Amino acid sequence: MALGERMDWKLWSLKKSIWVFHVNTGACNNCDIEIVNLLTPKFDVERFGIKLVGSPRHADALLVTGGGTRQAAVRLREVYRQTAKPCVVFCMGACACGMGIFEKGYHMAGPIDHIIREVDPGAIIAYVPGCPPKPEAMIMGVVKALAALQPEEKYGTEPVGQPVVADPG
Amino acid sequence: MDNQLSPIRDKLAGIERAMETRVFLPCEAEHVYEVCRFLFEELELRFVISTGIDAEDCFEVLHHFSDDASGALVTVKAFVRDREAPELDSITPLIPGAEWIEREMHDLLGIKFRNHPNLRRLILEDDWPEGVYPLRKEVQT
Repeated sequence: MALGERMDWKLWSLKKSIWVFHVNTGACNNCDIEIVNLLTPKFDVERFGIKLVGSPRHADALLVTGGGTRQAAVRLREVYRQTAKPCVVFCMGACACGMGIFEKGYHMAGPIDHIIREVDPGAIIAYVPGCPPKPEAMIMGVVKALAALQPEEKYGTEPVGQPVVADPG
Repeated sequence: MDNQLSPIRDKLAGIERAMETRVFLPCEAEHVYEVCRFLFEELELRFVISTGIDAEDCFEVLHHFSDDASGALVTVKAFVRDREAPELDSITPLIPGAEWIEREMHDLLGIKFRNHPNLRRLILEDDWPEGVYPLRKEVQT
């Protein structure tokens, strides 16, 4: 691929291989187990270049589970600040999308998108609902977020990566 | 079981048997340590967990013990009558495993445990206001 003026290299490199950092903000561990499930041979998201990393400074995306408790909200904001921009925030599961059954809880500061937008009003946030979401749904959420990052008119002529199928069949 | 409990019978408000294997021992807060000591040391029951309840007119602290030989579950139900300053003896000096559940009850219901070695905040967030106990009936969220 030649160096073109139309290329947005930051975005291009973000999409090529998304390294994700997993943040639990008070989840019950069910979504977390499904995220771990993504890395098993059955779903094997490393074939798309998606990889779990140990530090938000290495990450292109945050996989956030849980509704965002008051204790975790401060940490989540700090993790978001440390993540290299541009980055995508994935709200994994019903709690992360809208606090779920904990909506009226005394310990909640969420939902996740409100907490993130306090730091960065222009944050890129993708939602994957479900309790827990199926691994296929998580893969599909990532694929759709990538598609949204790649406007047709801008990169229509430049295929990025391989076509992906969400259903491992 | 009733015979086994006779040494502490005068400290109990009654012996309720919901089932053959489910026993409740209601008592006043000041006797809770002695009753639990008897169950734990003399009858050698295993401490399972505790429960704190806001029962509107009083607080109830329930210490659950299991008799693994028979499968029976014995619950010491202590009534803490003073709603303004609820206080009762900690059983942590006797049973170290009760430390965290007592800290949790202190966090959420504001029950003070006397002689607890480490009654710090456990599960509420660091900036939670002092004196607000979220599981009390009067707290609306």
